[in-house]
Amino acid sequence: MDLSYINRTEYYAGLFKSSAKVTIYLYAGTGANGTASNFPSSSTNQDTENVFESWECEVCGNRNPPGLSPTAAKICALCGVPRSSVPIPIKTPAAAAASTSSPPNQGYHLSLSLPASVLPSALSSSASLSAHPNVPQPSNTSGSAVQTRTPSSIACPACTFLNHPSMRLCEMCSTPLPRLASSQTQPQSEGAATPGPTRTKSAPSSRPASPDLGDDNDDDGGGEGDPSRNMIKLSFRKGGDKAFYAVLKRSLMGKAWEGKAIGKGRSNISSTSNVTSDPNTGRSGIHGIMRTVETSAQNTATDMSDALKDLEALMVKAKDMVRLAAELNERLTASSTTTTTNMTTSTLSITSTQSLTPSLLSPSPASTSSSPSPTPSPTPTLIPSTEPEEATFIRSSLSQLGLQMSNAPVTLDMIRDERKWIDELARELAGVLQGRRNGEGGESRNRATGTGMMKERGIVALDEIWGGWNRARGIALIPPSTFLLVLPHLPNHTTPPIRLRTFPSGLSVLHTPAYTHASFASRLASLLALMGPRTTMDVAGEERLTVGLAREMIGAVEADGEVCRDEGDAGGGGNGVGGGEVRWWVNVFRGYVWDGQE
Amino acid sequence: MALSTHTTASGFLLPSIHSAPPFFTQQPNASTQSIVGEQWIRLILAYARHRNLFTLRIEDAETTGGDWDEILRNERIHRRLLPSHLSFLFSEMVSKNIAVYEPPKQTRSVLLYWRLPEEWAEVLHGWAISTAQLNTILTFYEITDPPIESPLTGIPVTILRRAITVLNKTGRAQIIGVADGEGVRFFAGT
Repeated sequence: MDLSYINRTEYYAGLFKSSAKVTIYLYAGTGANGTASNFPSSSTNQDTENVFESWECEVCGNRNPPGLSPTAAKICALCGVPRSSVPIPIKTPAAAAASTSSPPNQGYHLSLSLPASVLPSALSSSASLSAHPNVPQPSNTSGSAVQTRTPSSIACPACTFLNHPSMRLCEMCSTPLPRLASSQTQPQSEGAATPGPTRTKSAPSSRPASPDLGDDNDDDGGGEGDPSRNMIKLSFRKGGDKAFYAVLKRSLMGKAWEGKAIGKGRSNISSTSNVTSDPNTGRSGIHGIMRTVETSAQNTATDMSDALKDLEALMVKAKDMVRLAAELNERLTASSTTTTTNMTTSTLSITSTQSLTPSLLSPSPASTSSSPSPTPSPTPTLIPSTEPEEATFIRSSLSQLGLQMSNAPVTLDMIRDERKWIDELARELAGVLQGRRNGEGGESRNRATGTGMMKERGIVALDEIWGGWNRARGIALIPPSTFLLVLPHLPNHTTPPIRLRTFPSGLSVLHTPAYTHASFASRLASLLALMGPRTTMDVAGEERLTVGLAREMIGAVEADGEVCRDEGDAGGGGNGVGGGEVRWWVNVFRGYVWDGQE
Repeated sequence: MALSTHTTASGFLLPSIHSAPPFFTQQPNASTQSIVGEQWIRLILAYARHRNLFTLRIEDAETTGGDWDEILRNERIHRRLLPSHLSFLFSEMVSKNIAVYEPPKQTRSVLLYWRLPEEWAEVLHGWAISTAQLNTILTFYEITDPPIESPLTGIPVTILRRAITVLNKTGRAQIIGVADGEGVRFFAGT
């Protein structure tokens, strides 16, 4: 039963022999005008299930959502056909469970006697068990063809009592009755039961085989307008009334049914477990949403794996493509070298021993034609004038694919001797740092910046150089260990020599002679003497250093005692000039003589 | 930047180094810091002698309004001695035996020996002679708070006791227990 039908509730604590009772008053209008079919009479539970599940209109097939008002739920939202003509509503499991054993009836007055010890979830089933006082039985009233529960009675396996088919437990001994495929037949039998009362609206023509279990004042005789008909009285014989009433009150206050999805989810959860396997559950409710989400997630996973499979295949092929490109380049180079004579000498300096000899592999035709060679090529014949065009076309397309081989870096497999290799690497690094020197392959044509990394700056941190070098190499990256091996050889290949310096903090830099400790210290001292105290930022700007580097270098000078620091006023004493930033002073303490009062 | 000396309101001549902001910073460089510490200790002792101060506390660097503001702060350059730096100076002074932690077993307050106990002993003896109080029993109170101001006015009992101990060893004083504490009798000595 929908909690929204509850008008008000009353609580009677019980006196002497009369047990505690909870009276629930329902809205009178719903019971009187024949919409009582929307009441599955069953549940006394506070987590009662919705009557208004989504249902399919028989005429237009429109699927009406739940959550409509009691009157609006009776007719199809699309075509306006009354719902009474709908034979099969789509039931949520909870509703199905509740309505199985107790088909809807008209305005009623139930007074249920409940075992006080049962749990709220079990409460609904056990309560509904005994709460179908005057209901037209599905087997009698409904002419539906989908009726599956033909046997008029079920024999108890324990005591052989012939129970009414809607019973779940034996009336005599409470043994669970063998219900054949109860969960499957529930919606249909329920559906069959539903139209019955709404059409007839009359008193049941026949009584059930088993007697009514109204162990209470069963009054079907009241008129339809009788207010007493619109209430449910729950009697608690063995306590539990207070807890139940508190929960009921809280549920009513919370108006949980206004958020339909949530309410449904809860009723799903709290519903008895024997109906959760309902096949119809996939079509609506939380479960349906969950299933949709699952399906979409599965689809996504499949798509992803398919896509990655493509990528894997590409990776497998990548090596072949690179080799193909290399071969193509080689062939083109060979053809061009046969036609143009002296071009082979202009090989890259760093690739003197490499097997590919990618001498003229510039991506653009312009640079090919204008690439200066040590000895200018004499009289290019007619054939190369046509051939290089094709060659450059292929090469440019190759370079667009990222497969150009012109600046192939030195790798270990090109050079056998490791020492030679290191030396070559040092030379290559020198080219990266200082720009390509003349006479060694001539033009730095493939570098975006013709100048090296340290052309402008006198001091660069090691990580930056390592990153820059590997970026210039593109492939066959240099590990840091090899990089460090190369560094000691660097001064031999650089003019002016670039040396490695490691600060006490562990920071390593490469620097030109202008940035040795001695020259920096003298520069700093003269700067401070000339300009007065300076912050680290000032010094960094003056020396064109990064602030971190400047800090390291000044720290080294400070360790010599050449400068001293003024950390400013850390707090109080007015607005400090330094503001917490360190200002550097020449060492004012050195050679100081006391000139104060003795 | 030319640094110049400065005369405070109390008539103390601050050294020119006191106008240099780095003077108020604890230098990371050990050799530089040794010079800084040296100058600071000299300044503190000179000022203590000037103002006849005996104790210096960390709180003096933390709050304003104390006796030491004139040297622990320099409002002209917006600098002050940080408590951590002062604490470092304390330890240095104690290690050089020109101050002791007073009370002992803490490091937030020191008793300054701008005169060593031996020097104090001579001052005490000279005072006793000059005021003709040899061979009379004097209480400590009479020494630290004489009716006529003396060099010993306000001297902490701790220092006084040490000075008397020095005199006692050379036979020029004797500690005598009197009714309400201790007394001392000075002798002419040899």
